[in-house]
Amino acid sequence: MHSRNRIIGVASAGVVAALALAGCSGGNSAPENQNSSLTIDSGFTIETADPGHSYDPTGNMLAKALYETLVDFEGSDVSTPVPGLASWEQNDDATEFTFTLEDGRTFSDGTPVEAKDVVFSLGRIQAMTDAKPNFLLAGITIEQVDDQTISFSSDSPMLQLPAILANPALGILNSDVVAEHGGTGGADDSAQSWLDENSAGSGPYVLDSLDLTSQIVLSANEDYTGPEEPAYSRVVIRNVTESATQLINLQGGDTDVALDLNGDQVGELGDGFTVNSVPSGSTIFLLVNQDPAIGGPTANTDFAAAVRYGLDYDGLLELAGTGSVEATGVIPPGYAGALDEGVSQDLDAAKAALAASGYAGQTVTLSFPNDYPVGGVDFTSVAERVQSQLEGIGVNVELAPAPFATELDAYVGGTEAFGLWFWGPDYADSANFLPFAPGLTVGLRSGWTAEDAPELSQLAADAYAASTVDERNALFTEFATKMQESGPFIPLIVPGSNIATSDAVTGAAYNSVWTLDIAELSPAS
Amino acid sequence: MSSSVTDRRNPARPALAGFLLRRLGTSVLLLVGVTIVTFLLTNLVPGDPVTAALGEGPARNPATREAFIRAHGLDQPLWTQYGLYVANLLHGDLGTSLSTGRPVTTDLATAIPATLELAIASIIVSLAVALVLGTVAAYRRGLVADQVVRVVSLVGLSIPTFWMALVAFYVFFLQLRIAPGSGRLSPALTPPPRVTGMYTIDFLLNGDGVGFVDALAHMALPVLVLSLFTIGLLTRFIRTSVLEVLDSDYVRAARAKGLGGGRIVLDYVLRGAALPILTVVGIAFGTLLSGTVLVESVYSWPGLGTYAYTAARNLDLPGIMGVGLVVGLIYLVINLVVDVLYAALDPRVRLA
Repeated sequence: MHSRNRIIGVASAGVVAALALAGCSGGNSAPENQNSSLTIDSGFTIETADPGHSYDPTGNMLAKALYETLVDFEGSDVSTPVPGLASWEQNDDATEFTFTLEDGRTFSDGTPVEAKDVVFSLGRIQAMTDAKPNFLLAGITIEQVDDQTISFSSDSPMLQLPAILANPALGILNSDVVAEHGGTGGADDSAQSWLDENSAGSGPYVLDSLDLTSQIVLSANEDYTGPEEPAYSRVVIRNVTESATQLINLQGGDTDVALDLNGDQVGELGDGFTVNSVPSGSTIFLLVNQDPAIGGPTANTDFAAAVRYGLDYDGLLELAGTGSVEATGVIPPGYAGALDEGVSQDLDAAKAALAASGYAGQTVTLSFPNDYPVGGVDFTSVAERVQSQLEGIGVNVELAPAPFATELDAYVGGTEAFGLWFWGPDYADSANFLPFAPGLTVGLRSGWTAEDAPELSQLAADAYAASTVDERNALFTEFATKMQESGPFIPLIVPGSNIATSDAVTGAAYNSVWTLDIAELSPAS
Repeated sequence: MSSSVTDRRNPARPALAGFLLRRLGTSVLLLVGVTIVTFLLTNLVPGDPVTAALGEGPARNPATREAFIRAHGLDQPLWTQYGLYVANLLHGDLGTSLSTGRPVTTDLATAIPATLELAIASIIVSLAVALVLGTVAAYRRGLVADQVVRVVSLVGLSIPTFWMALVAFYVFFLQLRIAPGSGRLSPALTPPPRVTGMYTIDFLLNGDGVGFVDALAHMALPVLVLSLFTIGLLTRFIRTSVLEVLDSDYVRAARAKGLGGGRIVLDYVLRGAALPILTVVGIAFGTLLSGTVLVESVYSWPGLGTYAYTAARNLDLPGIMGVGLVVGLIYLVINLVVDVLYAALDPRVRLA
């Protein structure tokens, strides 16, 4: 009995002590000025705060806030690169670009941004073969001309270079500071761990703390010298994976910005919220494998044409939410060469193409990832509707859903007979959609070789080699048009991207390269 | 001399030590089994972990691809990979996560305390509530109270956790405004310096009252939702166990002696029903530690469940192996503790 009393006594003392401590204030104090801080909810895809190793959506958004790139885009418009840290000129055949740094730009420690920092930052990525953005700079020679000037050269025309250099992974680091913390600029560079705890850029914000699983905290760069003044003294980016939770957090005032709401959830937001909805850069498409060993009776462009004309695109678009549009081709809207009009359903043409294909009622298996919605579009619903629409022209489709991570291998390996997938650009330039050509990356995933369609293959090669913007844009348009007339791909939907903010925040604009430029946000007056 | 005195006082001690050794030996063998099964299963999953980890663009770059494969030893034969894994494991190294690029032990050291904090709070709340409900239901067998408890228990067991978590979040945070938003802490606050990794305890150790209250408030809803299920589970068992004891001779004798109701419940009934309750509490605690993925997902709780889900989604083999090993270890430890407590409570067990 005594021992029980003693236990109760100790427990009571513990509770009293806890309550007493709760009354005092140690590290944290009650929040005061809410206007000076901004909270953003997003499902994290990030491995590091070192831009040189980063190549994922959250990593890009973070790098955009901490570092600046030579080239920039304004708001959602990714069709026109504009000067960032530098302006540029090119030679006639587009094989050499000269970038001149803006005057008076400084890093967060007050030292000037110089050409040596550019050469160090980009050379570092080229030297680190394990760095994810390494492929962006393949085949490009980068040299310092003087303190303010850098030259980029390549054997072949590279009109896409300005768009590539706008990628936040190619942000410019303070070379002196990084060198003090393991940054050699070579393959043995070990600055990543330091850059995960500190930032060394010229961007509007600096890194306070990074927790890859829960939150990233930024504070304003007090010495910022660029055009995008930070409007908040503190920014918290939280990892909220459930979009339903993001919605409730936003409605309840726990967050100011929600990045991953789907079209239906955006519709639930009433007064007091602003939604920026624009088509993303990704395209959801069907592929019909052209390799007879994989596709069997459906491995021909006639069967692909039957599918192309047999679908009701408006009906499919109903499955996507606010901001989504019909895919008018392999190049999505907002990019050079994008077509104005997509394909319309034509059941007679579909049936004629089906008859020409030699299809005789076999069951066709449609493979797709069932756990990886793109822009809130659930692939299972799209696949089910494709199945029912194709039934209308006499094609029997069997659905084969699988987790993204396991099915990806079959798609990349080109072993799917009939697939439902998506393609997003690596950087904001239409050259990113040329891999759909026969014999190139995506083309080969559908068993489509250069010999299958030599004319289209040459068209893509010409577009890659073009040395003027006008010539290249005309080739992009021709490529997109021809891909809609024949070939194994049937583009369906360009899902929308929604950035929802409370009315207390203004300036949010979705950008397909870095999702959100945090510096564009400010308190509504 | 002193040792023989101790032995005379506790003649069962050597038997208990032998029992413990036997259980430890079995546990080690089981753990080896767990590593083999998780290793084989994770390697049987179709898919290319390199593309899953690097992303499509970087994975198309042969240099980056090769560097990744070499860095993670994926170019080695499967048996070499397993041998290397076990050798590293003996040094406490669980490998490097393919999706976070950090040592799996570092990732787990962050994730486990977050889940542990929820699980401990939930099991305490659940046990306290279930003991009252289960005992009342047994004492009032067949009466209204028993029926009410039965309904409460069934509701707790049958409502889907994910749905309950969302509804509770919607009602208590958005409508009633009495609970905070998601996560472990309000965005305005700074996490405590890490000691245990459990925010409430670390805030207390740091003397940060505002942080402690905020962290405690953020635990309320996930603990409520997790507890509903566990209360349902425990109440059923406690009711059955108490009913069995209530019919026993020694309880009747205690009543006949005229002992008070409270004394009988605490000293006779619950003590007698302790063994079966202990087993189910152990199982429930294991479930809480390893099966909170849905609740963690809704409340953005960066715990073991979230880590397991992310690892599985990204085909992060070392991450999946790490979680598998930890979950296996959790059940082994819990079973061991339950067995030892059994042995301590009931000498017949350790002599068997």
